[in-house]
Amino acid sequence: MSERTEAALLLAATLLVGVGTAVVTLTNDEGITIDAYVAASAFLASFGGLLFALKTWASRATRLLLPPVALLTALGLIEVFRLDRDLGRLQRYWLLLAAAIAIGVLRLLHGRGVEVLRRFRYLFLAAAFGFLLSPLLPSGLPIGGATINGSRLWIRLELGQRTLSFQPGEAAKVLLVIFFASYLADRRRGLAEMPRSIGPIRLPEPRQLLPILLAFGVSFAVLVYQRDLGASVLLFGVFVVLLYVATDRPAYLIAGGMLISSGASAAQNVFPHIQGRVDAWLHPFDNFSGTGFQIAQGIFALGDAGLFGTGLGAGAPYLIPAAATDYIFVALVEETGLAGGFAIITAFGLLFAVGFGIAIRSGDTFRSLLALGLTVTLALQMTLILGGVLRLMPLTGITLPFVSYGGSSLLANFGIVALLARISHEERA
Amino acid sequence: MSRAMHRIAAVSFGVLALLTVWLTFQQVVAGSTYADDPRNLRALPDPDDSRRGIITTADGVVIAEDRDGIRTYPEGSSYLHVVGYVTADASAGLESTRASDLRPLDDGSITSWLITLFGGSLEPPEVRLTLVDRIQRVASAALDRHTGAVIALDPATGAVLAYASSPTSDPNELISGDLTVSEFRDDPAALDRVAFRLLPSGSTFKTLVAAAALEEGIRPDTILEDRAEFLAPGAGQPITNITGGTCTGGDEITLREALAVSCNTVFAGLAVDMGGLVINDIAQRAGFNSVLAFELGAAISSIPTAEELDADLGALAQTGLGERDLRVTPLQMAVLTAAFGNQGEMMNPYLVDSVLTRDGSTLKRTEPESLGRLIDPAVAADLVSMMVDVVTDGTGRAASRPDMDVAGKTGTAEGAGGPHSWFLALAPADNPTIAVVVVIEGEGTGGTVAAPIVAQILNAWFG
Repeated sequence: MSERTEAALLLAATLLVGVGTAVVTLTNDEGITIDAYVAASAFLASFGGLLFALKTWASRATRLLLPPVALLTALGLIEVFRLDRDLGRLQRYWLLLAAAIAIGVLRLLHGRGVEVLRRFRYLFLAAAFGFLLSPLLPSGLPIGGATINGSRLWIRLELGQRTLSFQPGEAAKVLLVIFFASYLADRRRGLAEMPRSIGPIRLPEPRQLLPILLAFGVSFAVLVYQRDLGASVLLFGVFVVLLYVATDRPAYLIAGGMLISSGASAAQNVFPHIQGRVDAWLHPFDNFSGTGFQIAQGIFALGDAGLFGTGLGAGAPYLIPAAATDYIFVALVEETGLAGGFAIITAFGLLFAVGFGIAIRSGDTFRSLLALGLTVTLALQMTLILGGVLRLMPLTGITLPFVSYGGSSLLANFGIVALLARISHEERA
Repeated sequence: MSRAMHRIAAVSFGVLALLTVWLTFQQVVAGSTYADDPRNLRALPDPDDSRRGIITTADGVVIAEDRDGIRTYPEGSSYLHVVGYVTADASAGLESTRASDLRPLDDGSITSWLITLFGGSLEPPEVRLTLVDRIQRVASAALDRHTGAVIALDPATGAVLAYASSPTSDPNELISGDLTVSEFRDDPAALDRVAFRLLPSGSTFKTLVAAAALEEGIRPDTILEDRAEFLAPGAGQPITNITGGTCTGGDEITLREALAVSCNTVFAGLAVDMGGLVINDIAQRAGFNSVLAFELGAAISSIPTAEELDADLGALAQTGLGERDLRVTPLQMAVLTAAFGNQGEMMNPYLVDSVLTRDGSTLKRTEPESLGRLIDPAVAADLVSMMVDVVTDGTGRAASRPDMDVAGKTGTAEGAGGPHSWFLALAPADNPTIAVVVVIEGEGTGGTVAAPIVAQILNAWFG
């Protein structure tokens, strides 16, 4: 793709943001408000800035990365605004900040290369732990943990009258993937050797297994202390996939799968709220006014959507609890129909194709594992939330990358885009 | 490593493909299954366009409409239990089940664009009921100050012609805010006594016992023993007749005579002779112990199992009279009465004839639906001819008409505050166009309280 096409696609997404926001206010009989211009401007500034940063500091990076991200971000920006005007306006600031962080990452890695990250891997690990544990800080301090929707995975910052919630787990996810990739790039030979065996089952040295057990322990602790099922499965899933890819040993996939399923069944027995989620998934209408309410409302919304949806602003997605975060996909499908749903899934497909392409083509083990880990993080996160809202699996509260409302999520995912772009640039050097 | 990465990529794309298929599947299933679910607020009018269509009777009387944006029920309390009500956050009756039919047609779809293109109207549609206002009006008036229910059906189709329950209340008071939703809902007047009130059937159940006897080969003119009392094996208390002695004064009685005078000893004897299996079977065929797919829902009429009946012959004998553990809704009795008048075939009762655009073209029409055969046409013909004798010579004379034969059956069921008065009727007997069931709670016998109300309904129907 030429630079010109990329720019044209980003301009098209900008136009989509402006027109989409205008359609929302027009449907609500407010006319075209300043929101349409502000949203489009914030969007243009963010992606324009990113485009410029790529051109300057990662000029050989693939041109295919930004357009699908831009489409997803645009749809999210419109729908979040449609669901909640205040959140929608806030999301624009988050987007500017996320773009600034991505640009900052590109600038920092310029001249040093992604390789520099390996040196700080234990720092990243420590930071990730810090982030993961920070919501457990007592509430009431200027910076303190907060429990929202039954899960303690937020940090609340008191700034005078305003409070800002932030989900540090999102940042931890990126830092952990960097650590995993770096750790596995060093240790993969040892982990791939399987000198011991019990009958036909071959095993690596027991001490080699320690990291996987540690990762599982951390994930499970995240689940126990913060009640965050989504993040827990995501972290462990990404680790297992990276372990498999680094060693070429499917045994790790099998072992990881077994650990996940036994952990899940144990969690289901121990935590009533997880049992409730399974029940709500299987029989949402049995407890319609209780645990099944969100899923049942989601089903009603999907049923109302049809091929092209009700039109932006004309549906009733606000009836679904957490429509702007967990249920953003269903909200978009309700208003843009099956066509809109396909567009989102296709945009993710393009993004993953680009990500996997960067991972596969990269000659260096660390860069390759990093690109793969970051792509798998996005893919797994998308699968968890889409599978949840479409009732392929129990619902785990996690954001849809680039689309859901959430500052921390946007920041982390734009960080991922910057890293992928940088790896792509280096791979073509 | 490269091979493993290719595999992971392939799995990811497999998942994307699965999500694509699954999204389509969920949309199709959800769209068809839950569009009319009463809990689905999307079926309620869009808050931006709260206009709703009108509801009319078969004879063109408007019973629900928007007046200056306010939902109004011009006929007041008369149609409460059928039409229900709709407020900003609650709805009941057809206002709830037909919410999607009452929405404006302009839903932004390609279809509605095509309708306007060809000059059609996008005004919210008209839901036209099968109910006939001139009968409903009489039924409501007749029930005034009584506790009870009236239901009339077209035997050939199952179309509901009248559906009234008393006490009732005026939904306009809810709309105006004089009453809250919970006050309105918790009031005894909210109970739909046609479909949800379970009462012992009293002697109206003898029609089913007689039908079973006819199926067993007994003829209307078969001579049976006329006893002053009947003591079932193992029962403590004998069953007696209202007369105190035998039903005819003699010691012989035909089945026809026995039904006409509602002879208790004969029907108790028939029930015990035929056994629990036969009695339970005909009741279950008539719909007892199963859910009726009625638009407003319905309580399940119940009869004990064959084993339970055979285990206590005293109870079986009383069941033959419609007492003991037998519980029925007026709706259930109307379905089986209509079947007698429809050559034995039961039709599913329905309330909505059609949904029409405001310029008169039909959007959908309810097709009559058979619930299966209750009895053979020959048995039905014999039974109806016997029921004619009830009205000409028996306990139901108060429902008779000079211009035609009326078939009927009285019932007087034990009630805590006095007997419940039942009457089942079909007219004209040779080719019924209406089946009526009336029940008045706690006021007296079927022949004296319910039968005169049936006469009023028939007067309104035949003019």
